[in-house]
Amino acid sequence: AATAPGKKITARLKRTLPVRGPQAPTLSELMRWYCLNTNTHGCRRIVVSRGRLRRLLWIVLTLSAVGLILWQCAELLMNYYSASVSVTVQFQKLPFPAVTICNINPYKYSAMKEYLSELDKETKKALETFYGFSEGKSKVRRSVDDWNSTGSDFFEQIPLLKVEDFSRTATELHSGQKRKIEGSVFHKDSSIVNSGDSNDIIGFQLCDANNSSECALYTFSSGVNAIQEWYKLHYMNIMAQIPLETKEKLSYSAEDLLLTCFFDGLSCDKRHFTRFHHPLHGNCYTFNSGESGTILSTSTGGSEYGLQVVLYIDEADYNPFLVTSTGAKIMVHDQNEYPFIEDIGTEIETAAATSIGMHFTQSRKLSKPYSDCTETGADIPVENLYNKSYSLQICLHSCFQKAMVDSCGCAQYAQPLPAGAEYCNYKKNPNWMYCYYRLHEKFVKEQLGCQQICKDACSFKEWALTTSIAQWPSVVSEDWMLRVLSWDKGQKLNKKLNKTDLANLMVFYKDLNERFISENPANTLVILLSNFGGQLGLWMSCSVVCVIEIVEVFFIDSLSIVLRRQWQRAKKWWSGRQRGAGSAGDPEGQGQGRGHDNPACMDEDLPTFTTALRLPLPQDSPLPRTPPPNYSTLRLESAFTEQLPDTLELG
Amino acid sequence: MNLKKYLVRALHRLQKGPGYTYKELLVWYCDNTNTHGPKRIIKEGPKKKFIWFFLTLLFASLVFWQWGILINTYLSYNVTSSLSIGFKTMKFPAVTICNANPFKYSEVKPLLKELDRLIEAALERILQPTPGNSSENVSTPLDLELWNQIPLVLIDEHDKDNPVILDIFETNQTAAGNETDMDNKTKKKYKLAVKLCSHQGSDNCTYRNFSSAAQAVTEWYILQSTSILSKVPLHERIRMGYQAEDMILACLYGAEPCNYKNFTQIYHPDHGNCYIFNWGMDEEALNSSNPGAEFGLKLILDISQQDYIPYLSSAAGARLMLHQQKSFPFLKDQGIYAMAGTETSIGVLVDELERMGYPYSDCTVNGSDVPVKNLYSQYNTSYSIQACLRSCFQNHMVQICGCGHYMFPLPEGENYCNNQDNPGWAYCYSSLRASIKQRQICIDSCKETCNDTQYKMTISMADWPSEASEDWIFHILSYERDMSTNVTLDRNGIIKLNIYFQEYNYRTISESAATTIVWLLSSLGGQFGFWMGGSVLCLIEFGEIIIDSLWITIINVISWCKGLKQRRARAELVEAHTNLGFQHEAVGAVPGAEALPPEPGTPPPNYDSLRVQPLDSLGPDSDTD
Repeated sequence: AATAPGKKITARLKRTLPVRGPQAPTLSELMRWYCLNTNTHGCRRIVVSRGRLRRLLWIVLTLSAVGLILWQCAELLMNYYSASVSVTVQFQKLPFPAVTICNINPYKYSAMKEYLSELDKETKKALETFYGFSEGKSKVRRSVDDWNSTGSDFFEQIPLLKVEDFSRTATELHSGQKRKIEGSVFHKDSSIVNSGDSNDIIGFQLCDANNSSECALYTFSSGVNAIQEWYKLHYMNIMAQIPLETKEKLSYSAEDLLLTCFFDGLSCDKRHFTRFHHPLHGNCYTFNSGESGTILSTSTGGSEYGLQVVLYIDEADYNPFLVTSTGAKIMVHDQNEYPFIEDIGTEIETAAATSIGMHFTQSRKLSKPYSDCTETGADIPVENLYNKSYSLQICLHSCFQKAMVDSCGCAQYAQPLPAGAEYCNYKKNPNWMYCYYRLHEKFVKEQLGCQQICKDACSFKEWALTTSIAQWPSVVSEDWMLRVLSWDKGQKLNKKLNKTDLANLMVFYKDLNERFISENPANTLVILLSNFGGQLGLWMSCSVVCVIEIVEVFFIDSLSIVLRRQWQRAKKWWSGRQRGAGSAGDPEGQGQGRGHDNPACMDEDLPTFTTALRLPLPQDSPLPRTPPPNYSTLRLESAFTEQLPDTLELG
Repeated sequence: MNLKKYLVRALHRLQKGPGYTYKELLVWYCDNTNTHGPKRIIKEGPKKKFIWFFLTLLFASLVFWQWGILINTYLSYNVTSSLSIGFKTMKFPAVTICNANPFKYSEVKPLLKELDRLIEAALERILQPTPGNSSENVSTPLDLELWNQIPLVLIDEHDKDNPVILDIFETNQTAAGNETDMDNKTKKKYKLAVKLCSHQGSDNCTYRNFSSAAQAVTEWYILQSTSILSKVPLHERIRMGYQAEDMILACLYGAEPCNYKNFTQIYHPDHGNCYIFNWGMDEEALNSSNPGAEFGLKLILDISQQDYIPYLSSAAGARLMLHQQKSFPFLKDQGIYAMAGTETSIGVLVDELERMGYPYSDCTVNGSDVPVKNLYSQYNTSYSIQACLRSCFQNHMVQICGCGHYMFPLPEGENYCNNQDNPGWAYCYSSLRASIKQRQICIDSCKETCNDTQYKMTISMADWPSEASEDWIFHILSYERDMSTNVTLDRNGIIKLNIYFQEYNYRTISESAATTIVWLLSSLGGQFGFWMGGSVLCLIEFGEIIIDSLWITIINVISWCKGLKQRRARAELVEAHTNLGFQHEAVGAVPGAEALPPEPGTPPPNYDSLRVQPLDSLGPDSDTD
């Protein structure tokens, strides 16, 4: 009882929507029917044209049109992922960027004395031995013998050497012994100029602690570079052992660095600055870092409405070997961006007013599949060691640090610590220098793969800076200015500030026009389809309907005709085998009915200008009664009302 | 009656269409239309018919959906930008040169004498708070009237919640209190502030406090000197400033010599007399067709630093700016400094942005559609956003404070603010300046210009003159200026400037419409063609069908009304005769209608001509005939 209604419904469906096979009996009939009835333009002409040449011409034309369509559509598809650039300028209230200010000298030299005295002594000794330089006899205690106390073994491990290049022998600083150098020689400075000509080259040798024959000698064309590089190497070792809190105390405080502050016509003070400890520059102070939750913005351009600070650069307290220039370094960056001040900072002169005009540009690239950039950096397999948003620089530094921890077992001093690692120093990792130099060389030569892994960020903000310098304070205002600034600093009046200890800095927006450069997809799906349609229409007046027709005719119908043929042949063969050769009339009669004159293929909608070609209807029309004349109004009656007997089997 | 007749006749004229019923019309349309889908609906067997009907509907809705998207895209007026970069002969930018200090101190000294004495005395008091000293220093009694208009005060912040305000020239009692504290280590707790009152002696006062005394002194001095100088007539102020022949010592443009006469003088409120080279106001702007310092502008300037006003400007140097011809130089915004005793080389790249105006972007071509009166038009300069913002501020200032600020041009019939006539102006000005609302109003009402030109500068500096050449250079320049053999120049005053085009001197970003009407039409056509093979003619066909069906409706309605009377009588006839032919067709067209219509024998031929006059509309037609 349950199946009865279901069956009823399927029977009804079969009756109302019977499945019929293709009406054309043969493939050529089908093709002819298709060509005459299709909506595309070329095919009809092939069938309709008379004369072989003309027909051939039309075949060639149609085929070339098809080829052109395919080619052009392929081009369109290939150019789909292209971007167009648009530049918009908006005049509006602009967020003020974060401005990070550092003293070039990282730590107060007077405070660092207890950590660096050994190293300084060693450096001075080297200067005296190799160059005959001494800082005046009163200053330097020339007691070479008593210096050899604690900690000196570190310096002895990596001493400065004087190298005679041709003989490949080196004179050691302490022992004065000459010895043969093994291993490879790296000229750190000599990639451009060959320094082999000079007689005494200074450098240092780094050896693998486990395998002392593995040595690399680093030489420099100038002793200035050699001394500084060597000093830095030891300096980093020492600094790596000092905890962060101590280092922050050793460096400058906000009160030390900032004398006055003025922003957007209003006074500001150290509360507007956030401290941030930079491994190479000590305490840096970021104005408008956004850490308090609000980002200052400015609604007026011009130097009066920007940030104006006077910095106190205590030149007397500079480390003579570590830094050789005086001033401050500043960087303008976004609040989410980490300031790589050692890489891209701007240097500020003392005794001058530096005016920095900014122009704000924001750029946005399209990410995949348009270009190979990353939105958030989440898809980069490098852990972001910095607490800031992704940038290429962060990725490269993190990548190097990771490689350093992996291969040397400790972290480099200039970059943040990965979880569970600690900074390299002699005591724990006697081998790290050699390892670091090797690794760094690989990094520079792009052998570590960092440059391949790291992608650039898709959006970035850029402040184009125009820097100009004026003398400050002017000759006539110097007197009162220094007096008042000394009062500000709270110093004793007899000790006036020196103008070479001061730097005036102005950072302001030149205009409030924000340029926004963005990439937009040049194509959307809608436009692609429109272009397809244009191509199809231009060459063949074709549409999706034509495509469906082609699928219908060339795939479904042709296949079913072939199948039907095969089925009939098999049936014929089967029945012939069963009945013998005697009775084969029935299939033949059927075949006659489906012959060439099947009205199905004739009674068609022919174009009006080819009505002359219309063939007369076959005489033995299978219609049982006198048919009404074939006026146009009647044509709506399908040509295929007649059911071919065999198609039922397919259904 | 006549009208009705005409109407009916016209109706019949038009109605030579393809059918008298909706179904017939639709079938005719499907059969004859050029769009691809409908044709197939009526061609195939019932199942395919259904599929094709569905497909046609689907495609039609797709086309309309995509058309919607396309039209939306068009109406969003997107632009694409193209960048071009290279070197071409271009107009050399206008170069404005000013001294960082507005007036010669030797000239303005009589005006500022009182002020200077006041500030010196005040500084004495602040810096050296010993009672003996302060009384000794005041040899002549100070004119405290100026001071009392806008006094500087000390704020004692020992007690955070309840700061004590101390006037610097007040009675000795408080001063004595000061001293004892100052000797302590906590003296940093003192802050300097400027007291601003809406009227003198009124209680409506604010204290603008500064974290640094240097800042406070400068700010106070600027307020006071502004008030004094605003009373001085313009020609007098020009006289007090630096003269072109004193300032511009040498000039060379390309290979051609030029001198101070090639510069246009302009009085700039911030910087006194400024001189503009190649402003293009009276003569044609100069072109430069070669890159490099040899073909640029070379200047030697003297800023005579010894003659600076000590408290007004603490930075020394020349202020210069590159800008477009016929535009006003806003040096505070876009100007750069050149340092004394150096040679400053400036390589210029012209960065242009050409934008399309409304509706593509909200910019203005010449500022005529901006609701702010441009006060800088009195200089005959073109509109710029800076001019608009400043004009906007000055207009507000005049409205609220009743007088104009000295730094900006005056609207007609107004006066500059000074302490005598407008005692509360400083208070009014600082509250207006700090008001974010006022700034936002100005930002909202000003529009940027469509063509934005920026001069990107590559600045480099070297010491100049070198120690070896110093002597003879100073000698010659002094001789040329003063016709005497005394050297009147020194390192602190002399500046050399080179301004030239870089190897690539322009970078132009120009906008073009991303979607034009041609683009829209071809995209619409592409969509219609892609899904249905249709064109505009197909749309017209469709419209025709709609009109036809409207006619059918009208005819039906008319005939229904007409036939109401005769309906009963003719009902059978109508049923039997008129509709038979169509019924036959209709049945044939219905998918799956297996049964043939009841055999009428040989039906009457279904000629088109026979249908022109169906029976039910015979009535009116025969009337007219």
